[in-house]
Amino acid sequence: MNGTRKLYFENVRVGDELVPLVKPTIDRVTIARYAGAIDEYNPLHLDDDFARRSGFPSVSVPGMLAMGFLGQLASDWLRPGQIKRFSARFVKIIWPGDSLVCRGRIVDKRREETDHYVDLELWVENQRGELVVKGTASTKLFYNPSDEDRFRRGIPSELREPGARPSLVDALERELPAAVAAAVPAPKTPKGARAKKEGEGTAAPAKRGSSRSGAAKAQK
Amino acid sequence: MLDRELIGRRSEPLWNEVEAGSIRRFAVALGIGDLIHHDERQAKDAGFRDLVAPSTFPITFRSSIDLEVALGLSSRGLVHADQSFDLYLPICAGDRIQVVAVIVEVAERPSAGGIVDVVVVEDEGRDADGTLVYRGRRTMIVRPPAREA
Repeated sequence: MNGTRKLYFENVRVGDELVPLVKPTIDRVTIARYAGAIDEYNPLHLDDDFARRSGFPSVSVPGMLAMGFLGQLASDWLRPGQIKRFSARFVKIIWPGDSLVCRGRIVDKRREETDHYVDLELWVENQRGELVVKGTASTKLFYNPSDEDRFRRGIPSELREPGARPSLVDALERELPAAVAAAVPAPKTPKGARAKKEGEGTAAPAKRGSSRSGAAKAQK
Repeated sequence: MLDRELIGRRSEPLWNEVEAGSIRRFAVALGIGDLIHHDERQAKDAGFRDLVAPSTFPITFRSSIDLEVALGLSSRGLVHADQSFDLYLPICAGDRIQVVAVIVEVAERPSAGGIVDVVVVEDEGRDADGTLVYRGRRTMIVRPPAREA
């Protein structure tokens, strides 16, 4: 994958699918390594004898391993944005020997106050094409590179200043595609631009994620 | 039927130290190669304070409730049914996160294999300033007792 690619709100299209993430086959070592990493040793995932006495044919794979894979899919896709809300339902048991593919689709893009959110539907399939995990994520993106740059320098976004480019703000509120919005001549007075509170959305920029341009991928 | 008296039980706050090694091991266990989880320099170049944790990392945090002990479940397996996180701030190496967990539901639910016991636990973590860092919610299915060997 391209480690320098960045994603911005203006380029996101509802309905698009994420490039699927294909993970290596899960074996008992994968499970043990995960159990060690979270320092939790649920015998249903580690002890075949206990699993059988509990009514299972063998140990099973922790659902959280697959949710972690979904997080990887979403995080790789949205850089330099952030996951704000992330849910998963473990709908079918995953077994050692299963090979999982993580998939996602963009279901909504919206503006809340001064922030830009993209909602994803996420899911995991096994090698038989069966749905094993179903999830959703709400992600927060920068509107465009200049929005990110201003954020990183602690400058309020131009999209957030009263009177700044009202045509763009109005168009966003009508949820027009951003590319079209940018080309539309200003049709209205600036009243559509929300007044910005002092300091809003600009606090402690160093605490928040941003550019990962230098983060070359070392994906196996 | 599990003890519904447990509903509302809230744990004492417990500090969790976020170690760089824990973040790296967690990323390795998930097969995540992104260097912001492995290389301090790369994480800082990307605007983080230090190595940043993957999104599901709060699952590693401990609260002072031990579910198996609280529910008397030593011979009963727990199956994770669902999980959600609200992530308010990035979690980075060197952070100290104070975790509180609450048992919000103990109930029986119908399932394909008959009635099962479920337990819903919510937790939240705050940083050293008391700022909310994350909230989590998980549903666990409690398996029938394992048969004797």
